Amino acid sequence: MTRRTSLLLLVLALIVPLSLYGQVDPGVRGGAAGAGDPLASVAANNPANSLAFFNHGKEAFEDLNSVSGTIPGAPDAGLGPRFNSRSCAACHAQPAIGGSAPAVNPQVADATANGATNTIPSFITSTGPVREARFPFFFTNGFPDTNRPNGGVEDLYTIAGRTDAPGCTTALIPQPSFALAQQTNNVIFRIPTPTFGSGLIENIEESTLLANAASNANNSFGITGTFNREGNAGTIARFGWKAQNKSLEIFAGEAYLVEQGVSNELFQQERPLPGEGMQSPGLANACKFNATPEDLTNFGGVGEEVISDTVAFAMFMRLLAPPVPSTTVPGGSTSINNGRNLFNAIGCNVCHTPSLTTFRSSFTPGLNQVTATLYSDLEIHHMGTTLNDNVSQGNAGGDQFRTAPLWGLGKRIFFLHDGRTKNLITAIQAHNAQGSEANGPSFNFLVNLTPNQQQDVLNFLRSL
Amino acid sequence: MFRRTRVQPTYLCALLLVAVTGMAQTLPETLPPTGDFGPDPQPGAVLQKVPADVILVKGAVPSASDHSVPLPEEGGVVKGVYKNRYFGMSWTLPDDWSEPFGGPPPSESGGYVLSNVVPAPKFKGPSKGTVLISAQDMFFAPMPADDAKELIAYRREHLEPYYDVERAPAELTIAGRPFSRFDYESKVAGIHWAVLATTVRCHAVQFVFSSRDPKLIESLVKDLDAMKFDDAGWPRCVADYVTRANVIERVDPVLKDRRFNAIPARLVVDKKGRVKHVHILSAFPEQAQLITDALLQWRFKPYLVNGEPVEIETGVTFNAPPRNRKTTAPPVSTASD
Repeated sequence: MTRRTSLLLLVLALIVPLSLYGQVDPGVRGGAAGAGDPLASVAANNPANSLAFFNHGKEAFEDLNSVSGTIPGAPDAGLGPRFNSRSCAACHAQPAIGGSAPAVNPQVADATANGATNTIPSFITSTGPVREARFPFFFTNGFPDTNRPNGGVEDLYTIAGRTDAPGCTTALIPQPSFALAQQTNNVIFRIPTPTFGSGLIENIEESTLLANAASNANNSFGITGTFNREGNAGTIARFGWKAQNKSLEIFAGEAYLVEQGVSNELFQQERPLPGEGMQSPGLANACKFNATPEDLTNFGGVGEEVISDTVAFAMFMRLLAPPVPSTTVPGGSTSINNGRNLFNAIGCNVCHTPSLTTFRSSFTPGLNQVTATLYSDLEIHHMGTTLNDNVSQGNAGGDQFRTAPLWGLGKRIFFLHDGRTKNLITAIQAHNAQGSEANGPSFNFLVNLTPNQQQDVLNFLRSL
Repeated sequence: MFRRTRVQPTYLCALLLVAVTGMAQTLPETLPPTGDFGPDPQPGAVLQKVPADVILVKGAVPSASDHSVPLPEEGGVVKGVYKNRYFGMSWTLPDDWSEPFGGPPPSESGGYVLSNVVPAPKFKGPSKGTVLISAQDMFFAPMPADDAKELIAYRREHLEPYYDVERAPAELTIAGRPFSRFDYESKVAGIHWAVLATTVRCHAVQFVFSSRDPKLIESLVKDLDAMKFDDAGWPRCVADYVTRANVIERVDPVLKDRRFNAIPARLVVDKKGRVKHVHILSAFPEQAQLITDALLQWRFKPYLVNGEPVEIETGVTFNAPPRNRKTTAPPVSTASD
């Protein structure tokens, strides 16, 4: 071991824990959810029918999917052949529908629902986070091949064995070997991003983001950053852990296909695993039960029921109000206000930009030229070796992640892209790493703040 | 053509650990179905793991055309001394301070984190603090500033309202070089900052000291005077030399993928106008290769000083318009000292 590495380990082992001695993450904030409602203008049904579209989208978001829509209680058709869970709301649930991973992981029940015969991977537990798995590298001769980057989602489950999937067997669509992937350190995880206030994020004009980036370039913390851009028009993408998705409709359409296996108007074919789809025969036809796309415009519908589920999901997320922070909990208003000021002073706000103003909106007054207190610059930043997941998406490399919006943080159970911790202090420490742009602010937090000040910052974050 | 990227000692150590631990492990006799994996591994085969804590899948990264010329991002702390051959700079760390982490790769706007220095675990001093050593390549600076002095002035002019100025920007001499210094504090945090910057090879090299204790900062600033600079043999840096008038022969790289990332490149041009070195600050590997191959074929009008050709370094941005630099008039190929 080199002297440099020894020093690194010693710093991690000694400085960081001692610096935080006595400080505690207040934990998930109690009280009302403070999230899940529509924007005030939508609640007032402005414009007319917008509330109906919101409510319709919410119902669609909650609906369980089954393979052909024939299972009682699961009326939506299209589940699988491969999937991670059976509804949007099952995973986007904390602290209200539209949020992030809940306390009880629905993926445990998903594994065997309706006769399915899936093996539950060891990283899926009833009290752990909802997880999506990706293999950073393809396997060659059974071993990860670092010359062949993969990074695509490896769905946890298949419909094999389900009562509504006759003839589809595990021999036709086996689960990936997550055990071997774990043994070879070739699996990473992602948890659901909360979607509250995402209509505001969608409506922040690029010139606003560029101006904010230019303003932030003038910092003394060594932070730079860049934007991820979608590959066709080249505009700034902003959704997903690496800002890989441009819009809420793309976000919804991709998730519907990847997470639930429902083909739709944006992604019309059923999805194989990344390796499975690279050579004939691909995803087994015997496990495809529906015409495609499975989710589509309802030509015979009336009003809001005309739109596809994908469009309904996007509209629901777009019209969701941002989370409501607390001014007093935890720690009282003085501590929270102090923590907010400290958060800015030590440089956290360079990336976690407290607010940005939205552009003019055609949807509803609640999205029109309003202040979005998202605590993000929507840029991607190098986060270093601790958070690196070796997955590239668009222009984002393995250790580059979108600045996670912090609104709603007080109600979150799991933190970081993979849900590795429930502890805010651990999440902050993970910002401090080899190659991280966040070392300046995180060193300020760890070295320069007093214990009381650190606690104020934690209280502030849990008030959001 | 040989290219290089910086390999951190930590990475090498991690790879070594993986190799050593991997040799001791074999796969079990029975394996689960491979599903997406292709052929099964052979039973009893040596386990091959993806190394932990190593960034293997990179985004835009720096690269260079050769090994012979030092690069800004290659500095580091060795035996208590921060050394950077590109900037000809060496600075002895305070006793019992260390560099736990290297910084991120250079940014597409020419920003470097050269080092983060903090008290080591055995530090017993009365107060702690941090030192950030950074550099801004002024060829690609995202703010209207051409040198360290202007960068400090810009920082002062745009200081956030929650900071208070403790010392207005001022010129001083440190280690025989002109520096600009600017101090500010956060009253709510009780933290003081001192930013000291000097221009080296058209970069603003900055030392940012922070601490709750102003005396510690003064002590650190005082110690900077012992820093050593060796600027012998550097090419003359010339901003905006890549103009239609100055480039005699030009081969444009044809980038294959639309990536929408700015690609800043530094070139060293010899006395005969040939490109002898290319440093791509930030690009995807395929972009870097195409641009480097093209740039090495460029020919410039020799840059003259007092009528004599001299070696220069200059910059050019690909895949994006040039940054909004303060200087607007392109340089002519003659200058006088």
